[in-house]
Amino acid sequence: MALPNQQTVEYPSFKLVIVGDGGTGKTTFVKRHLTGEFEKKYEPTIGVEVHPLDFHTNCGKIRFYCWDTAGQEKFGGLRDGYYIHGQCAIIMFDVTARLTYKNVPTWHRDLCRVCENIPIVLCGNKVDVKNRQVKAKQVTFHRKKNLQYYEISAKSNYNFEKPFLYLARKLAGDVSLHFVESPALAPPEVHIDMAAQQLHEAELAQAASQPLPDDDDESFD
Amino acid sequence: MSNVAEPAVTSREEEEEDPHPAAEDEDTGAPVAPIVRLEEVSVVTGEENEEILLNLKAKLYRFDKEGNQWKERGVGTVKLLKDKVNGKVRLVMRQNKTLKICANHLVLPGLSIQEHHGNDKSCVWHAADFADGELKDETFCIRFPSVQDCKTFKDKIEEITESLAQDRGESEEANATASLLENLSVEGKDSKEKPETKESSVESKDSDEKPKVKEEAPLSVSEKKDNNE
Repeated sequence: MALPNQQTVEYPSFKLVIVGDGGTGKTTFVKRHLTGEFEKKYEPTIGVEVHPLDFHTNCGKIRFYCWDTAGQEKFGGLRDGYYIHGQCAIIMFDVTARLTYKNVPTWHRDLCRVCENIPIVLCGNKVDVKNRQVKAKQVTFHRKKNLQYYEISAKSNYNFEKPFLYLARKLAGDVSLHFVESPALAPPEVHIDMAAQQLHEAELAQAASQPLPDDDDESFD
Repeated sequence: MSNVAEPAVTSREEEEEDPHPAAEDEDTGAPVAPIVRLEEVSVVTGEENEEILLNLKAKLYRFDKEGNQWKERGVGTVKLLKDKVNGKVRLVMRQNKTLKICANHLVLPGLSIQEHHGNDKSCVWHAADFADGELKDETFCIRFPSVQDCKTFKDKIEEITESLAQDRGESEEANATASLLENLSVEGKDSKEKPETKESSVESKDSDEKPKVKEEAPLSVSEKKDNNE
């Protein structure tokens, strides 16, 4: 589907709308998938940011155009305009902030006013945090409105692939669809000149003295 | 925010529930009509013609120069792969679950792997990385679950780069000798003995490396692999 300011691709692509209160981790979640990084700093999204996100599946490559929308009311902008032609959605809340869960019905109602009968995943983010305010058993909204629910953590990557996998399966009507290795193309031969080499070594020395952001994290799964 | 019942406050305080309860893969979503029909395709990993020299769990970071800080790139498995045809070795790392590529670059003789200050489970290096399908200069740091894994990785890379450097040294020497020989042969065969013996080593070297096939060629194998979930 052609979208403004986005290159079209020859493989299936879907418009994914991501909504939820400000600070629940929508942008961090998308960024985690895009670059691998985990952004701790909170910078409210203004309006909307659209990011193409590709996955390789056993049924070929697919793309989600992630419409990462502003959660804060004052930065909301043209809300309905972001929802239009949405083909799937994620509603995010923060399990450490009860109000963000209480606001889920509002997000759901606004979304469904524009997008009818699209697959929707409700995501309870930040489940890595010890002091949860919303426990798993207290999350019931998805049952009332027939949404899928996942507990996720953009920080620990817990279930971080599940929302996309679920949506892909629904959009393709294939319950056995799964992610597969993306092809690792042969890297081309490079020639490094002496000047560049020296530059790299200086940068390496600088980098080697900087600590890692999450040295204490022992999880490798 | 009107019609949802306030979660029971009493239960919240008393029970410490499992944060990841079972049956979470239960599909509670409303049935929706699929909007695309996709056919199963054969999976190409790009690693079909390579021998796995090393395979370890790790966490990868890239250095953000402007921010002077490390940023996470992915958690998954790092592999050192040797092309069965041209003998080239590369490092490929994939993200857990999504199996996307976090790093993909050749291990070249100039690659210098160094300690990461104050952390003996991690090490750093620089490479022209091809993870996104275009070459980008990256400074990487990789962290392992154990000191031993880190050592294994570092030692293996060093073993490879040393052997590459040696090969290159030898072939340069061989080339020099070969051109010297050419000159000599014009002047006369009887002048020196020494290069003759060298020449035979040049030949055997050459035949070892003979099958120089283009890299792109062996990618088309369509072997289906299980994804290691």
